[in-house]
Parts: sequence; C-alpha cells; structure tokens
Amino acid sequence: MPSVRDLRDRIRSLKNTQQITKAMKQVAAAKIRRAEEARKRARPYADALGEMLADLIAAVSSVDHPFMKPGNESAPAGVVLMSADKGLAGAFNSNVIHAAELFARGRSVRYYTVGIKARNAVRRMGISDQPNWPLGAASKIAVAREVANCVADDFVHGTISEIVVVSQKLVSMLSQRPQTCKLVPVLAEDLKAFATGDPQEQSGAARGAVEFSPSPEFVLSRLLPKYLEFTLYSAMLETDAAFFAAQLVAMTNATDNASKLIDELTIAMNNARQAAITKELLEIVGGAEALGVE
Amino acid sequence: MADGIAFKLVTPAQVVFDGAATLVIAVTTEGEEGILPKHAPFLAALKPGILRANVLRDGASSRLELATSEGFMQALPDRVTVLVDEALAFDDVVVAEARERLAAATERQKEAAAGSEAYAREQAIVDFANAQLRLTGHR
Repeated sequence: MPSVRDLRDRIRSLKNTQQITKAMKQVAAAKIRRAEEARKRARPYADALGEMLADLIAAVSSVDHPFMKPGNESAPAGVVLMSADKGLAGAFNSNVIHAAELFARGRSVRYYTVGIKARNAVRRMGISDQPNWPLGAASKIAVAREVANCVADDFVHGTISEIVVVSQKLVSMLSQRPQTCKLVPVLAEDLKAFATGDPQEQSGAARGAVEFSPSPEFVLSRLLPKYLEFTLYSAMLETDAAFFAAQLVAMTNATDNASKLIDELTIAMNNARQAAITKELLEIVGGAEALGVE
Repeated sequence: MADGIAFKLVTPAQVVFDGAATLVIAVTTEGEEGILPKHAPFLAALKPGILRANVLRDGASSRLELATSEGFMQALPDRVTVLVDEALAFDDVVVAEARERLAAATERQKEAAAGSEAYAREQAIVDFANAQLRLTGHR
C-alpha cells in the first residue's frame, strides 16, 4: 500500500497536469472561434466563385484545359495530406494519416504534406523528399497558393496522375471525420456542385447572354487554378478548425479524468492516513495495557 | 441605392468592400473596363493592376483606389462582384515589401522559360508589385 506521502505527491502532480490541460482547453476554445471566423470570411469568396462558375459552365460546351483531361495514367497519384502541426488532440492526426494510407493501399502515390504531423508520418514511411508546408503559417492563403502551384505543375507535367486531398472534415464540434476527395482531373459534376452551392445561383441560366472577356474558355482556364487553390485553402481552414475542436474534446476529457483520479487518490490518501492513525492509537492502547496502566 | 449598383470586392480572407458604387474600373486582361449601372451581364479575367471605383459612402460619393492582384470581375445589371487574391489600399501597401517581391520575382522569372506557366506566374507577381508601387506613387 502506498504511503500517504506518495499519494500526496501523485495528487500534486495530477493537479499540475490538470491545470495544463485546463489551460489548453481554454486556448483551444478561443482558437476554434478564430478558425471559424476565418472560415466565415472565406464564404463570400466561395459564393462569388460558384456563381461565376455557374455562368461559365452554362456558356462553355467543352474545355481544353489540362485540369479537365485525364492525367498521365502511369504516374503515381498525388495526395495532399493535411494534418495539424501539433498533437494532443486525441486520434485527430492519426485518423487522417490512416485515411491516406488506406487510399495509398494498392497503388503508388506521391505525397504533398501540409502540417508537421503529416510530414513526420510520411517520413516514417521512408519517404523523405516529399514537399511539405506547415498548416499554422501566418498566411494560409499564401501556403494554399504554393501547394496549388506545386501540385498543378506536377499534374500538368505528368509527374502525378491525379490530385487527391485527404483532410479532416469538421462534422460538428464533437466529431471530425477524415475525408478523401479528388480535385483534379476536375469533373464537370464537381464544378456544378460547387456552383449550385450558392443560393443566388438560380438566376445563372436565366440571365441569358453573358458577355465574356476575352472568351469563356479563357476565363475558365484562369478560374480553374483559382478553384483548386481555393479548395485547398478551405480544406486547410477546415482542418485547422477541426484540430482545435478535437483538441478541445481531448483536453476536456483529460481534465475530467484528472479530476476523477484526484478524487480517487484523495480517498485513498485519507484512508491511508486514517489507517496510520488507527494503527498508532492501537499501539498506544496496546502498550498502555501491557504496562498495566489503569 | 438610388443611383448606384451593389459593388462587392472579395478576397479569400475577407470582404474588402461591400456597398454601393456608381462606377467601377478594373484592369482586365484585355485592358481597362469601366462598369456603370445597368451593364449587360459580363464576366472578365482581371490582371494585376489598380482598381478604381466611385463608391457611395453615407450618401456622399468617394473614390476607392486599390492595388489588386489577379482575379475576376462579374457585372450584372444590378451588381458588380470583383474577386481577387489580394486587394491593398494605399495604407496597406508596404513599399519595401513590394520592392522586395518585385526583385525576387524578376530574378525567378529569368530562370523560367518565356511563355511557360511559371513565367506567367512571376509576371503576375511583378505586375501586382508594380501596381502597389504605382498606387503609392513610388513609380
């Protein structure tokens, strides 16, 4: 049985841990709010982009853009794997990495990693030359642009056969799920889905003749890379928000567990202390009786 | 909005301007294009440059001038939407930074083959940096 002092030490160390987890929980809660605001600010851009896409799709019958054509079949698939930079968020990072491994099973892939945890995981697979970027950069849009340029170049040059993003989806504050989605080659259905995501869109076809400068094909060829860039950007924002949500849950659980343990240990400590006192009393009484003191 | 159109200037990070305007002039890939109210439906690709607009603020007309990067402009009879990566007002431009980017992009451009995707990308950075410098009167 552990001594009273041992128990007291353990309780003290648990209380310290609890303070840390509680602080991290509060920080995560504040950061979720910030991440959610960033996502909200990106919303009008998505709406406007969707609306323009709707006009373009209506006007263009066939597009001669590399993004719309199948890639080099013999090349590996390009996987953009997004994770957080830090851990302490339950299975958040390992879930998304596992999803990427599932996708990579039975085919050759080339990784592009966003987030330090994803980079480390890919390195552990024995690949060390994959391009990587941090998730927590000051300017996420600049990072998204770099990633988009890099994967787009590789796709156009035939280094990769397709562009797939594996990232975390924020289903709700309590639940995050990894998702795998194919971005390039761009499917017309995907574009339509993106375009009709906007409530103002119905007017698109009804508008009739839209004048394009210089031509709808040219504008679309400019818009597709932006679409890729923005999709990567919003995936980064979502991964970021999902990470803090996961961390909030993980830290709440850790704090609760610490409380429970502290309670249990406190009872054990009180028992041990009481046992020691009782034992001492018994010894005194026993000693007194032996001496024959009345 | 009696005599203006709804004008929205959006970047991925924020809505830069959302209000009424009587005139919007943007630099498209084909040259400058001015949009007045009741314009026919129009969609253009923009190249980096200076976007100018006469906007209505608190009932008074005022001038809006921003250095914008690549993007798109959509005009409809009742509204104009401009979509760009970045839009910087006079006060937002950091001259030293713009100069630095201009020099770096010019340097990188020398290595890229003319007419290639990479070349065009650096050209866009050069143009945007130049627009920023022009906006602030450093050029």
